[in-house]
Amino acid sequence: MNKLDKQFEQLMKGIKLDSPSKGFSLKVMERIQAEAAVQKHVIVEEYQPVISRKAWIILIAAFVSFLAYLLFFEQESSANTDSVAWSAIQDSLQKVNTKGLSNAWQSVNGLFESIPSMAYLIMLASMALWSVDLLLTRLRHSHSEIQIR
Amino acid sequence: MNKTEDIYYIEAVRKGDVSAFSFLVERYQSMVYSLALKLVKNAEDAEEMAQDTFIKAFQKLNLYEGKSKFSTWLYSITYNGCISELRKRRIQFSSLEDQRFSDHDEMKMYDYFSETKKEDQEKYLTLALSKLPEDDQVLVTLYYYENQSMDDISTITGLTVSNIKVKIHRARKKMYEILHEMLHEEIYTLL
Repeated sequence: MNKLDKQFEQLMKGIKLDSPSKGFSLKVMERIQAEAAVQKHVIVEEYQPVISRKAWIILIAAFVSFLAYLLFFEQESSANTDSVAWSAIQDSLQKVNTKGLSNAWQSVNGLFESIPSMAYLIMLASMALWSVDLLLTRLRHSHSEIQIR
Repeated sequence: MNKTEDIYYIEAVRKGDVSAFSFLVERYQSMVYSLALKLVKNAEDAEEMAQDTFIKAFQKLNLYEGKSKFSTWLYSITYNGCISELRKRRIQFSSLEDQRFSDHDEMKMYDYFSETKKEDQEKYLTLALSKLPEDDQVLVTLYYYENQSMDDISTITGLTVSNIKVKIHRARKKMYEILHEMLHEEIYTLL
């Protein structure tokens, strides 16, 4: 800024700015609050699963590698490993299940005999997790919608 | 530091405290409204433009990166909003010609004007400012009143720095010329 600019700046500092009407700030904040409510609603509408895609990939990878491990490395000792865990599960199932249910179980078991039994359990656990994920997402979704309304 | 920094309120709003935005509204409402009024020339429209400025600023607050001052960012929203509105109305700004008022004349006029009463100074300056083309009024206000740098004004208006320099130089001289005419008329009226 040169001298002329500085002199003129001194003069200009003496003027007063125009002011909006009295309730201006209040009007703006009312519109802002309404806008914030809309923005919040939009955020809630966005689907966000409880178990992320990354977590699912890790789970599937773990499952596949476990399956591969059982198929290719544990074949020799399958009889020993199967016997301990599997017999315990079968014992407990026999105690709980009715006759018809155990027959059905045996026939299904016969169909998929070639796949290691532990794989079924992992699949079952994954499906249970998926169901819980869906349930929790739905619950969270409906709860937030109620709050906004 | 007397004033709490703008960034404090911006962060609070970003974290979900919507009411913190009211501090920014209070702080900048007069300047935003003044700029809008200089451009659209109507109090009702200016208030509407000022409201829209704050709403847009709130909506886009996450896009404000802090590279420029918050005021610069806010005034650019005001300026662009008003310019869009004026384009819709097909209103164009006139431009100032080179002024005959020399630097020496300016110095003399400044000395003479400084002697007048403060309230008269304010009255004449406000009147002289209103006689400039709309965009020149904005440039003068931003540069001399609001102390925005040439670069900041360039960000706000989209004009080049060299263009802004020329426009501000001409506008200052024009204002002195208008003040000279007004004071001259005043003397003749008194006589």
